Amino acid sequence: MSGLTSIGPNISPSTRRKPSAASPGSKARRELILVWCFLFPSLAVFFLYRILPLIWNLVLSVQKFSIFGQSEWIGFAHYWALLDDEVFWMALKNTLLFIASAPCGIVIALMISLMVNTEIRGRNIYRTIVFLSYPLMTVAVGIIWRWMYDEKVGLFNFILRTIGLIDTPLAFLQSFELALPAVLLANLWQILGFYMIILLAGLQNIPQNLYEASAIDGASRTVQFFRITLPLLRPSLFLAFVVGIMTSFTSFDLVYVMTQGGPSHSTELLVTYIYKAAFELSRIDYAATLTVVQFVLLVTLTWLGNRLSGGEAGAGRN
Amino acid sequence: MQRFFIRFRELVSCLTITIAACSALLWSTSAVAQQKKISFLTWNISDQEELFKEWIAEFKKIRPDVDVEWLDKKGPEFPAYYQTQVIAGTPPDIINTQGGLWLEYAAAGGLVDLTPYLTKDAEVRKRFNSDYLGSWVYESKNYMLPFYISKTLMFYNKTMFKEAGLSGSPQNFEQLMDFSTKMAKGEKTGMLTLNFDWLYWSLFKMNGVELLTADNKKAAFNTPKAVQVLDALIKATNNGGINKVSWTGRWVEPNGAFAAGNVGMLQAHSPAFFFIRGQAPWINSNTLGVAQAPGGWATPNSHGLGISKGSKNPDIAWEFLKMVTSQKWTERLSERRKVLTANIASDKTTLDKMHKQDPLAATVLQTQLEQTDKLTGNWPLANDSRIKEAFYPEIQNAVLGRKTAAEALKDAETKVNRVLGF
Repeated sequence: MSGLTSIGPNISPSTRRKPSAASPGSKARRELILVWCFLFPSLAVFFLYRILPLIWNLVLSVQKFSIFGQSEWIGFAHYWALLDDEVFWMALKNTLLFIASAPCGIVIALMISLMVNTEIRGRNIYRTIVFLSYPLMTVAVGIIWRWMYDEKVGLFNFILRTIGLIDTPLAFLQSFELALPAVLLANLWQILGFYMIILLAGLQNIPQNLYEASAIDGASRTVQFFRITLPLLRPSLFLAFVVGIMTSFTSFDLVYVMTQGGPSHSTELLVTYIYKAAFELSRIDYAATLTVVQFVLLVTLTWLGNRLSGGEAGAGRN
Repeated sequence: MQRFFIRFRELVSCLTITIAACSALLWSTSAVAQQKKISFLTWNISDQEELFKEWIAEFKKIRPDVDVEWLDKKGPEFPAYYQTQVIAGTPPDIINTQGGLWLEYAAAGGLVDLTPYLTKDAEVRKRFNSDYLGSWVYESKNYMLPFYISKTLMFYNKTMFKEAGLSGSPQNFEQLMDFSTKMAKGEKTGMLTLNFDWLYWSLFKMNGVELLTADNKKAAFNTPKAVQVLDALIKATNNGGINKVSWTGRWVEPNGAFAAGNVGMLQAHSPAFFFIRGQAPWINSNTLGVAQAPGGWATPNSHGLGISKGSKNPDIAWEFLKMVTSQKWTERLSERRKVLTANIASDKTTLDKMHKQDPLAATVLQTQLEQTDKLTGNWPLANDSRIKEAFYPEIQNAVLGRKTAAEALKDAETKVNRVLGF
C-alpha cells in the first residue's frame, strides 16, 4: 500500500483531476445544447405544422387519394391533367392579375403616404380614414361591396345613372368582363391602408438631413424623390409587394363572398379553386397538386421581387 | 442510516403516487369503456337544438349506456369538416346530408348500407314514402333514411300576374317564357330560379332533355331541343324575363329578390317559402300562388340520415335512426320546422294540422307530396359534383352572353364526357 500518503480520499494518480480552466470546447458544446433546447419547441411546432404538411401535400399530389379507402401511386398524372384544365389556367391568370394589381395599389398608397407625410392640417385624420378599411373583416367588406355593385339597388349603378354615364344598370358581378375588376377594386380598397402604413413608416425613417443637403446642392423635388426617397424606401416597397403577393394568394374570403369564383370561373383564383377541388369536388389529391403549383409560383415571385429590389429584402445595394 | 430512511420514505411516496395514478387511469378507462358514445352531424339546422336535446334525452332512456353528441355545420363547411374527420379516423357516426353529396360518400364506401337493417326492421321501411326513400339508393343499396324532404315548385306573385293580364300558373315551357317576358318591365323581372344542386334542371326536363344516356355513361343533352331551350333562356335573361341572379346567386339573393316583390315567379324548393315569407310582408294567400312546375317535374333537395362506415357503433347508430325517424319525433320536427319528413303517418298529421293553422304553408307543403314520380335532377352518379361543375358553368356562359347556346352545350358535352371517362 505504498504511495497513499495523502489525508484526503484515496485517489489514484491516473484518475486525479488536473486543475484546469473550463475547456473552451465543452463550454461551446454546452451553449450549443442550451440553444437547441430553447429552439426545439418552436422548431418542432414549425416542423409539425409547416414542413410536414408541405411534404404530405407533395405526397398527396402524386397519389389517387380516397378519404374512405386505399390510395394509389399515380405519378405525375395530376400534373399532366392540369395542362388540360381550363379552370386552372383561368384561375392562374386571375391570380397573376391580382398580383399585378399590387403595384398599382402600392403606387396609390405611396402617393397618399407622401401627402400625409407632409405638414398638412388634419393629416392624422386622413391617415386614420385611409387605414380604417384594413382592420375590417374581409367577409364584411365583401358583403358591403357586393351590395354596392348590385344591379338593381347598388350605389355604383345609382351614381353612374344619376350622372348620366350609363342608361341601363351594369351587372358588375354577373358580367364576365367586369366581375374581376370589381373584386380587384374591393381588394385594393381594403389593403390600401396597410400599404400606406408600411410606406409611411419607411418615409419617416428617411433622415431629413439628406433632403436638406440635396436642397442645398440644388436638387429639385422630383430629383429628391427618385434619388433619395425611392431608393431608401426599397425595403418598405419590397415588404408592401410581398404583402400584396400574399394577399393575392389568400383572397379566398373576398372572392368567395362576392362571386364564389363566378360567373363561370371568371373570378376564380388558385386559392378558391383549391378549396373547390378539395371540398366541393372531393378531389383532395388534385387540390394538393394545385397547392404545389401555387407554392412554386409564390416562392418564384418572392425571389424575383427580392432580386428586383436589390436583394436582402430590399436592404441590399444601400 | 438517517439517509437510508429518508431515501426509503421518498421511494415509498413515489410508489404510492404511481400506484394511485395508475389505478385512477385504469378506473377511468374502464368507466369510459363501459360508456359508449355516438355522434351525429347535422347540416345547418342549429335552430332545432331543443329538439336534438330531447332526442338525446329520449335515447338515453332507451340506451343508458350510450352518450350522444350532436354537431352542426353550415352547408359550405359540412364537406370540409366531414372529410377531415374521416381522415382523422373520427367520423361522426350519423350524418345528415343535403342533395347529392351522399352519393359521393356512398360510392367511395363511406356509408353503411342500410338495406340489411331495413330488411330486418321491415316496419321502418314501411314508414316512408317509397319515392323519397328511393332517392338514397345507389347500386340497389339504400344508404340513407329521409330526415326532411323538399322538391322544387313554382311560386308566383299574383299581383304581378294580374298587372300583366295573366291568370293561373304556366302550363308549359313556352308559357313560362312568355309569362316571364310579359312581366318584365323596368325594375321588375319575370322569373327567378335557384341554381344549386340541379334545381334548375326541370326547365330542361320539361322539354324532354335528358342529361345522360340511360346507362349514365355518356352525355345526352346536346340535342337541337336543348339548344332551343337554352336559346329561350338566353333570350329571357337578356330581355329581363329571367333575373340574372338566377344564374349567379345561390340562396339569399334569389329568394331575397323574389321577397322584394319585383319578380313574377320563383322556382325554388319548399324551404324557400318560409324564408321569403319572413322577408316579405306582402305575402298572403291572395298575393302568392303556388303550383308545380310545368309538367310536374321537380328536383328534390332532401336531407337524409346515414351511418358512417367508420362508425364504431353502427348498430347503436341504427337504433338512434329508428328512434328519430319514428312518427313521434318526425311530427315534432315537422311542427317546429314546418317541413315534411316522408314519414307517411307523420306527414298526414302535419298537413291536417297545418291546413287549419296555416293554409298557405300547407298548400306549399302539399306540393312536396304530389307527383313524386316526376323527380328529376338526381342521377345515381358518384361524381355528381364534378358533372355539375362541368355542366353548369357552360350554362352560365350561355345565359350571361359569353357563348351561344350551341357552343355552350357542345363544350359542356365534351367536359361531361371527360368526367364520365367517355
